[in-house]
Amino acid sequence: MPAQVYLDYQSSKPVDPRVVDAMRPWFTERFGNPSSLHLDGDEATDALERSREKVAQFIGANKDDIIFTSGATESNNLAIIGYVTRNRKRGDHIVIAESEHISVHNIAKAIEKQGFKVSKVGVDQYGRVSVEKLRKKIIDTTILVSIGWASSEIGTVQPMQEIADVLHGRGIALHSDAVAAEGLVPIDVRKVPIDLLTLSANDIYGPKGLGALYIRRNVNIAPIMPGGGQERGLRSGTEDMPAIVGMAAAADIMASEMPAEVLRLAHCRDRLIEGVLGRIPKSHLNGHPRERLPNNAHFRFDAIEGESLLLSLKDKGIAVSTGSACSSKTLEPSHTLISCGLLHEEAHGSLEFTFGMWSRPIDVDRVLEVLPGIVERLRSLSPLYEKEVKA
Amino acid sequence: MKSTSYSEKTLDHFRNPRNVGILEGPDVAVGKVGNPVCGDLMYIYIRVSDDRIVDIKFQTFGCGSAVATSSMTTELVKGMTLDEAMKVTRNDVADALEGLPPIKMHCSNLAADALHDAIKSLREGRRGETPEPLKVCEVRSSCGLPVTKPPAIEGAEVLLGKGVYRRVEEPKAFVDKRVLIVDRGKPSVDVALDLTKHTGMVIFMSSTKEPSSKDDPRAPLKRSDVKVIYEAELIAVLGEGEVEKVRVHDLNENEDYELFIDAVVILE
Repeated sequence: MPAQVYLDYQSSKPVDPRVVDAMRPWFTERFGNPSSLHLDGDEATDALERSREKVAQFIGANKDDIIFTSGATESNNLAIIGYVTRNRKRGDHIVIAESEHISVHNIAKAIEKQGFKVSKVGVDQYGRVSVEKLRKKIIDTTILVSIGWASSEIGTVQPMQEIADVLHGRGIALHSDAVAAEGLVPIDVRKVPIDLLTLSANDIYGPKGLGALYIRRNVNIAPIMPGGGQERGLRSGTEDMPAIVGMAAAADIMASEMPAEVLRLAHCRDRLIEGVLGRIPKSHLNGHPRERLPNNAHFRFDAIEGESLLLSLKDKGIAVSTGSACSSKTLEPSHTLISCGLLHEEAHGSLEFTFGMWSRPIDVDRVLEVLPGIVERLRSLSPLYEKEVKA
Repeated sequence: MKSTSYSEKTLDHFRNPRNVGILEGPDVAVGKVGNPVCGDLMYIYIRVSDDRIVDIKFQTFGCGSAVATSSMTTELVKGMTLDEAMKVTRNDVADALEGLPPIKMHCSNLAADALHDAIKSLREGRRGETPEPLKVCEVRSSCGLPVTKPPAIEGAEVLLGKGVYRRVEEPKAFVDKRVLIVDRGKPSVDVALDLTKHTGMVIFMSSTKEPSSKDDPRAPLKRSDVKVIYEAELIAVLGEGEVEKVRVHDLNENEDYELFIDAVVILE
């Protein structure tokens, strides 16, 4: 358990100790390569295929529709670049949501350089894609729509079923980066006809450095990295067996524990949201009030800046994230917050809490104990917080 | 180096900032630098006697290093003559804090500039006055309204009726919409105030400075739910078939940025 109050599970999750146990033998005793033809190789092949089965079951998929990758970034690249490369003769236009994480915007930029055209569908003030607006973005040459299942930042969950309905029967593939949603909202590719789905192991308390891509049968993509032809030729490289076994164990545990865990996390979330909005004047919730991840509470506070909030909480032993530019590598505020219509100064004042397996209601109490004082102190320094605001 | 890898000295000035507050009176000059859009805004107040800084205070909105550099600057220059204080540089402030993360050197180490602005303002005889921003746009008259006809807004004609409005007849059309109202004097202020009854996201944009007088038609906005952006101009309305976002020119920073909205009201 973390010594401090760790409320930044969207940035990193621990590996479940039971997952570590499942992984351990695959480092030292069972180190065979699935491509080898001897007994050690056969043992690895068996474990690889059993793992694939478990990860597939987690999202209601067939075993053969899952391939393992090095993580969500690779899965997103493979899904988008691999799909448009393979299907170029059918069209050259894709649609992504404005609210997507910057990594998806950067993939879109990369394919624009190869001559593809990218449209961005706007979101409402809560970060939700409007199905009506999406419909207007689709043209004859559209071949792919990529919309994240939920925002890891503001926690808003997208209407994936409605989005899939818009695309149904039009020959347009739907990709969704589901890393923020996996383990927190039910994902079943039999119910929602997604064509390509990005998963990461760490987001369900598996190891970092491993992800998966679900590819619906008859959806064709091209590999983006030539090599030895593993994973149906779509993702070359010797399989990372400890991590793959770990992701399968994590998926297995998550499938059985998720219903109760989601309720527990939502209780922490609701307690924090109620406490912050009730105790801190001029505080606001970012993201959707109802359609949001059960572990996410995202706020903004007028007249103060997020990095200052983060540093002050760090001093009190509380770990959180902010969408402020001052904490980013580019000095730009979070694009997700801006896409919701927030002003830059509002985006700078944002603070994100995400709960996870070690979170307890006492963590919420600790935040509520110190946060009002921190906000008040920073406002007392701020020229933007006028006396009349206090009144 | 991480953007938040601060020295102990920087953290100390962030945790326990020296000389926080404001100074008032005829012997006080004020300097301002930064802009909330960029995430940093600082005011430095100096009281001067016999050419010496006898008292100094600051107010800062910004990140850890913005607060710490403001605090350090006030400590460094208290008691200095104005000539000595003019020689204090950003690097001196960073050195006194035992260094800053490189990425912070330019974006939030601005307090020395605010100090120099205060001294210049004093020397130009602007004691006790609200500071001018460092970079001032020229297209304004003394009453704050644009002198000439406002420049054409790219895309406004094409998207007229598709999210761009020249008049507001049916406020219900704006329910739950993110609406931007361009400053066209009192009628546009009235529209902004009225629309807050129908939607929670009303933004008012004006090329003028924030009004200091209660008689200014924009003054009532301050106590309303309208979000106001001063010293900015709408330069383009963007969207495919309907309004999706606008491009805004920040007059202070001479930079453009985008805002995501659903409707723009530009009264005739």
